[in-house]
Amino acid sequence: MTKTFSTLIALILITASYTTVEAQQSDYEIQQEFRAEYHQITEWIDNAVSSEDLDEVSDRIDALEAEYGEHTDIINSAIYPDTYSSRLNDLRSRFSAAQQNVATIEELNERVEELEEELEEFRQQLATMDERAEDLQREIRDSQANERRLSGLVQQYRENLEERDQFVAGFLDDLLRRYETVDSETAAELREAAEQLDESPVDLIKTILGEYVNYANQATDLAAEDYLAMKAQHVYFSEFWDSMGERLTEIFDADAPVQSRQEVDDLLSNWNSAIDNRIWGAINDSFAQNNIDLDNFSSADAFYNALQSYVSSATERSEEQNREEDLEEYRNFSQYWNNTVKANWGETLFTGNILTYEQVSDIDQQLGGWNVAAVPTSNLMLILFIVALAVIIGLVIALVRKGKE
Amino acid sequence: MAKSNITTLITSVALMISVAACGPSLTISNVDYSQPIESVLSPDADNVVTDQRYAISFSVAPILEEEDVTSADPIRLIRNNNGYYFVTAAGFSNVYVFEVGEGELDLKRIINLTDDSLGQPAFNQRGDHIEVIDLATGDSYRVNEEGRMGG
Repeated sequence: MTKTFSTLIALILITASYTTVEAQQSDYEIQQEFRAEYHQITEWIDNAVSSEDLDEVSDRIDALEAEYGEHTDIINSAIYPDTYSSRLNDLRSRFSAAQQNVATIEELNERVEELEEELEEFRQQLATMDERAEDLQREIRDSQANERRLSGLVQQYRENLEERDQFVAGFLDDLLRRYETVDSETAAELREAAEQLDESPVDLIKTILGEYVNYANQATDLAAEDYLAMKAQHVYFSEFWDSMGERLTEIFDADAPVQSRQEVDDLLSNWNSAIDNRIWGAINDSFAQNNIDLDNFSSADAFYNALQSYVSSATERSEEQNREEDLEEYRNFSQYWNNTVKANWGETLFTGNILTYEQVSDIDQQLGGWNVAAVPTSNLMLILFIVALAVIIGLVIALVRKGKE
Repeated sequence: MAKSNITTLITSVALMISVAACGPSLTISNVDYSQPIESVLSPDADNVVTDQRYAISFSVAPILEEEDVTSADPIRLIRNNNGYYFVTAAGFSNVYVFEVGEGELDLKRIINLTDDSLGQPAFNQRGDHIEVIDLATGDSYRVNEEGRMGG
C-alpha cells in the first residue's frame, strides 16, 4: 500500500514537473530553434545529391511544420517581414527544385556509370586484341624459317588488325552518335558528370592512337594492302576528330581542351608519319614482285606520277617497237592493275586518299592507248598489195608481149 | 482700483485659458507598445547594448552596479503593452522595470524574484503581463510594471 502510494506521488510529481517544463518555453528560443532548423533544412536541400537524402529532408519539413505550427504568431513576429507560411513554402519550393536537380544528377550518374562500364569493357577488349597482336608478332619473328607457318601467322595478324579497326570504328561511331547533337545544356551536365570519370573517352582515344602508332612502327611482314587499310583507318579517324574533337574535349577535358586537342592532333600526325614510312615502300615492292618497276615514290601524288610515267613510257615503247614483249608487258600490268590494285585494294585507295577516282580513271584510259599500241600490226595487207602489184605487172607484161606478136 | 485690478486679472486668466485651449492638443489612446519577442543582446566593451530591430541603445552599467556584478551577457530586454521596459540577465536576482523619459530610462521598479540569482532567465510576452521563466530551474513568474503578479 505504501509502495503504491509512493509510486502514485512520484507519477504526479513527474507529470507536474513535465507540465511545468512544457509550459516554460522561451518564445525567443522557439523562434531561434525554428530559424536554426529552417537553415539546417535549406542546407540539407542544397547539399542533397540522392533521392535518399531528399526523402529525409521531406520528413524534416513535415516535422518542422508539425512542431512549430502552434507557434506561428511568435515566429511571424520574429521573422517579419517573412512569415512562417512563406518560410515553409520556400522550403517546399526549394525541395521541389532539389528533387529535379537530384533526378538530373542521378540520371547523369547513371550515364557516367554506363559510360565507365562501356569504356572499361572497350579497354579490356582492346587490350586482349593488342595482347593477341603482340603474341602473333612474336610468333612471326620466331617462325621466319617456316614459310608455311609464317604465312598463316601473318594472315592471323592481318585479321586481328582488321578486327581491331572495326572495333575502334564502332567505338568512334558510338561516340559520334551520342555526342554529335548534344545541346549546350546537356553538354554542361555531361561536363559536370565527366569530372567523375577516371578515364574519359578522350583519354581512351589517345590510348588507341598511341597503340596505332606502335602498330605502324613495329609491324613486320605486312603487305601493301595492310598499310592501305591503316591509311584508310587514319583518314577515318582524322575526319572523326575534325568533326568531334572540339566537342569532346570541351565536354571531357574542360580544364584544358586546347591542349588536349593538340595532343590528339600530334598523335594523329605521328600515326600518319609512321604509316608513310612503310606504305610507299610496301606498294612499290608489291608492284616490283609482279615485275612492274615503278619509279621511286614517297607520297600519293608521286605514286600517281610513277604510274602515269610507267604507262606512258610503256605505251611509247610499244608504239615504237611493237614487239610481242611489249604486249606481254601490257598484259602483265593490266592484269595486276585490274585484279589486284583495283579489285583487292579497292576502296582503301580512295578512302586512304592514295588515289582519286579521277586518277584511276585516267590510268584506265591510258591503258586503253597502251593496249592499242601494244598489239602487233598485221603484214597481210602489204603482202596482198605486193601480190596484187605483181599480178598487175605480170598482166601488163603479158599484154605488151601479145601486142608485139 | 482694487476691483479694476481683479477684473484685469480675471480677464487675463480667461484669455490665457482661451489661448491654451486653441493650441495643438491630440492624444491617442490604447497604444500597444508590446514587443512580441524579447531581445537578447550582448553588451559591447562599454556595457552598451543595442537592439537594431527595435531601435534602442543604452548602457547596462548602472544595472550591473545595482546587481553588484561586473558583467552579464546576454541581457534580456522586453517591452510590455504599456511601454515599460523589463531588463534582466543570468546572474541577476531582479527584473528591472524602466519607463521611457526624454533620452533616458527611468527606473520604475525593481522586482525581486528570488533570493538566489536567476540561472537562465527569459521573457515571454503574454499580453496583459510579462512572463519571466528561469529555464535552469523551471520557475515561472508573472510580472508587470507594478511588480510581481499573483504573489
